[in-house]
Amino acid sequence: MKSIELIGKGKEMHGRAYIEVMPDELENAIKKLKENGFNHFVMLSCIDWLEEEKFELVYHLWSYEVKEHVMLSVRMNRNNASMPSMSHLFPQIETYEREIHEMYGIEFDGNNRLTPFLLENWHHAPPMRKDFDSEKFVGKLYESIPFIEEDENEGI
Amino acid sequence: MKEYELFIGPQHPGITGNMMYHLWVDGDTVTKAECNVGCLHRGFERLMESRLWMQNIPLVCRICVPEPDVNEAAYSMAVEQLMDWEIPERAKYIRTIVLELARIAAYLMAIGSYAGSIGIYTIPQWSLGDRDYILDIFEQLTGARIYHIYIWPGGVRWDMPAGLPKLIEKTLSYIEKRLELYDDVLFENRIFFDRAIGVGKIPCDKAIEWGVSGPNLRACGYGYDVRKLEPYAAYDEIDFDIVSYPDLGKFDTHEAGDVYTRMLIRRLEIEQSIAIIRQALKKMPEGEHILKHPNWLRWKVPAGYAFARVESSKGEFGYFVVSDGELKPVRVHVRGPSYTHGINVAERLLKGANIADVSQILFSLDICPPDIER
Repeated sequence: MKSIELIGKGKEMHGRAYIEVMPDELENAIKKLKENGFNHFVMLSCIDWLEEEKFELVYHLWSYEVKEHVMLSVRMNRNNASMPSMSHLFPQIETYEREIHEMYGIEFDGNNRLTPFLLENWHHAPPMRKDFDSEKFVGKLYESIPFIEEDENEGI
Repeated sequence: MKEYELFIGPQHPGITGNMMYHLWVDGDTVTKAECNVGCLHRGFERLMESRLWMQNIPLVCRICVPEPDVNEAAYSMAVEQLMDWEIPERAKYIRTIVLELARIAAYLMAIGSYAGSIGIYTIPQWSLGDRDYILDIFEQLTGARIYHIYIWPGGVRWDMPAGLPKLIEKTLSYIEKRLELYDDVLFENRIFFDRAIGVGKIPCDKAIEWGVSGPNLRACGYGYDVRKLEPYAAYDEIDFDIVSYPDLGKFDTHEAGDVYTRMLIRRLEIEQSIAIIRQALKKMPEGEHILKHPNWLRWKVPAGYAFARVESSKGEFGYFVVSDGELKPVRVHVRGPSYTHGINVAERLLKGANIADVSQILFSLDICPPDIER
């Protein structure tokens, strides 16, 4: 695959190129792919690997010329996770970084629009992290309202 | 004049759903626009991580209200990639028919709401009425009108009833006739020319870098369509054209990437969709409609990363699915076309626009907030 040849490593996964890069190689890798026809930035995903104590960022790029999809993967430690922002390369990365900052708590150095995006007045832990227990959170937030099954005297 | 702030939405007839644009206005010219979303955030991606692979099907369709089938198809395709499944031929054709019917329904809705934004209120009444005839087909085929929960990993849920092709053909010829009326009232109307030509232009050299896709990208002169680039379902066996600027058929060609061209691309693609459905109905083979599936409750999907994309009426829809070989997905991430169109592209296009043009620019981009927020 062209992208694997360009970066010099990686493997094929279900017809897509999957390339793991180190955080300091990321900017050059995206630049190199962009210059060589991978000019459509598809999306930026984040995966929380709780057991390995890692966050994985996946930068998806697509080339209209060679019809190839490449997933650039970067891993970082879960504690004080931060990454340099790539929003100067593709403008829409700014929004993806905003969402990941809000949902996973990752800092993106160089992105000055990490303002609240989907959540409003949110002061709790980032909700997409695997260790965020949504059931416990909801129970605590709405504990004054009894659950229906707890109310033994009155059946439904 | 002193600059003032204007809030459009979330409750506003000139906005494309439950979202808000914060505008800074000088006179009646917008100097800065900021998109503010969050009203529709339902936490689907989080919810999908705590459900079985199969339980996610009724969830994903709710990510795009006007065109839910693309979500089911993309999610199913991603799961099929991980499972290494090849679905039956008949299922491929049924999927193609369902996806194209959904595309026509979504385009009718888009054209209707756009016409409303420039004050031609006849079209929304007509197009939503005509869309209902397509929903009738869906009701007979899937049992539901809006959220069909019909495309499953491994095929489609039920086979097509014997009498349905006749009803589809009847509806298609009806819509074809109606398109002529739409042309008279909207697409060949002086009001449309005066309002739309040259307004809200996407700079064509920047379109790909900005992440523009679908009809909006084709209006900029790039004939890119996922149906041709990465054929899924039965699109590789069907002959159809990609409508892109400057070839607008019987309509006059004006500027690339403006509101006029974007809307005409949608209008012309309805004709292509009709042709695709007719071909698919003719070519559809007999046979199984779904693979023999595992017990959904104990179904483990092999570990790996899969990405599936489909062409929706709004642009490129993608599903990124990560599995660690367990009963539930580790991560399902949705790439909605409105994520780029509604935020980065719209904010740039609105800058310098007239207040009266704001809603027609937004409607012509066909922004759908549910897929921004999921």
